Amino acid sequence: MTPKFFKRLTGTALALTLLLTGCAPAPEPVSRDLFAMGTFLSLSAYGGQAQPAVDRAADLVTQLDNQLSVTREGSEIWAVNEAQGAWTQVSQRTFDLIRDALELCRVTDGALDITTYPAVRAWGFTTDEHRVPSPEELAGLAARIDYTAVELDPATHSVRLPEGMMLDLGAVAKGWAGDQLSALMEEDGISSAMLYLGGNIQTVGAKPDGSNWKVGIQDPSGPEGASLAAVEVSDQAVVTSGGYQRFFEQDGQVYWHIMDPDTAAPARSGVLSATIVGGRGLTCDALSTALFVMGADRAARLWRDHPELEFEYVLVLEDGSLQISQGLEQGFKLLSPYQDRKVTVISHDERG
Amino acid sequence: MTKGVKIALAFLVGAVLAACAWLFLRPAPGGSVAVVKQDGVVLQEIDLDKLEEPMMFTVKGDNGILNTVVAEHGRIRVKDATCPDQICVHQGWISQPGKPIVCLPNKLIIEIRGEGGELDAVS
Repeated sequence: MTPKFFKRLTGTALALTLLLTGCAPAPEPVSRDLFAMGTFLSLSAYGGQAQPAVDRAADLVTQLDNQLSVTREGSEIWAVNEAQGAWTQVSQRTFDLIRDALELCRVTDGALDITTYPAVRAWGFTTDEHRVPSPEELAGLAARIDYTAVELDPATHSVRLPEGMMLDLGAVAKGWAGDQLSALMEEDGISSAMLYLGGNIQTVGAKPDGSNWKVGIQDPSGPEGASLAAVEVSDQAVVTSGGYQRFFEQDGQVYWHIMDPDTAAPARSGVLSATIVGGRGLTCDALSTALFVMGADRAARLWRDHPELEFEYVLVLEDGSLQISQGLEQGFKLLSPYQDRKVTVISHDERG
Repeated sequence: MTKGVKIALAFLVGAVLAACAWLFLRPAPGGSVAVVKQDGVVLQEIDLDKLEEPMMFTVKGDNGILNTVVAEHGRIRVKDATCPDQICVHQGWISQPGKPIVCLPNKLIIEIRGEGGELDAVS
């Protein structure tokens, strides 16, 4: 074997090595799975600090769940609901959440209402005994839904609501928890994380390779869990609300868990699912419920009138078509085999 | 070239060849494996791509709730369940990573593991 042969061999070997290091498998995340907030959570983070960060996040979410659960005896929300009209002091953190949630009720003109719990319960969604309440019962329930009746005392971080009314943060808690967890992750030096909170997606940064996370939007009508579209995000939350997520059938009619606060019955606005994309998990969670209740026209108005909310949205309508807000146009695409679906882009110009 | 250098080079080449062998001969990534877990404990791992005949099994929880799981070539679902909400059944088939099937009362999680497709998650 000649020196020349060796040189060639070495050159090839080195070239191959360089090539192959580029083909190294993608970094694996550290993950923690847990059951909390009434659902399944999977917290994944990348980087050297990932394990302790993910453990801290799991502890925090368990703590938050204990404080906020409406069904858990002794939780702060349970205490408020048991107080029968008396002032109840809560932690500053819970107080701030309630205050922010009420603000979102206001800006959505009550389409989001955090006092719908008696209705959700009457339909059997928490007792697991599904039933259809009578019109009289519904009227009585609707009368007890009114977020404007919730009073806050910032000085003592106390809350009061009239007897017979109940608070439930189910429509906002996961999104808000996502915000708390992503702040914790960033504190811990994590620059890339994907938090799956029962379907609420919260991302920290971009993927380890710098590309955007690709989040699917489920087909509300599909028997398969197929996604009909995907959005690309980094450092943002993606939350979808839809009747298909939780419903029962009775006498040929489908009844779902997202209530119209005005009627205390399932909201039927022509929207099958509402997906919100934005930097703040709480806002995305709250608005996904609100837009499902509001319907397409009110949703477009809200988006145009409130740029300070900083969100984009995707609606899947009853006829199978989609509406997306203009800011999402770049990061949105239909997936096969849904490419023939009609997509309307909602622009800021009403005539547009 | 001295003998020492030759030996070092031979070693280097050997190492690279070994790395090549490892990279190309290791079990192929991709394909989809369904992982069925109950309360964090893995009950089954099913290579869906290798599945030729459908398979069916039940998962029972402490509270007596039963989930009937069906796995076919490339996909898996909860066919029926005795839990009140039926969310797991309504979820339908899954064939990609990104969205698990969950039966909360039974702490049952079914997810697809693999270098599946385009999506990192499904909201």
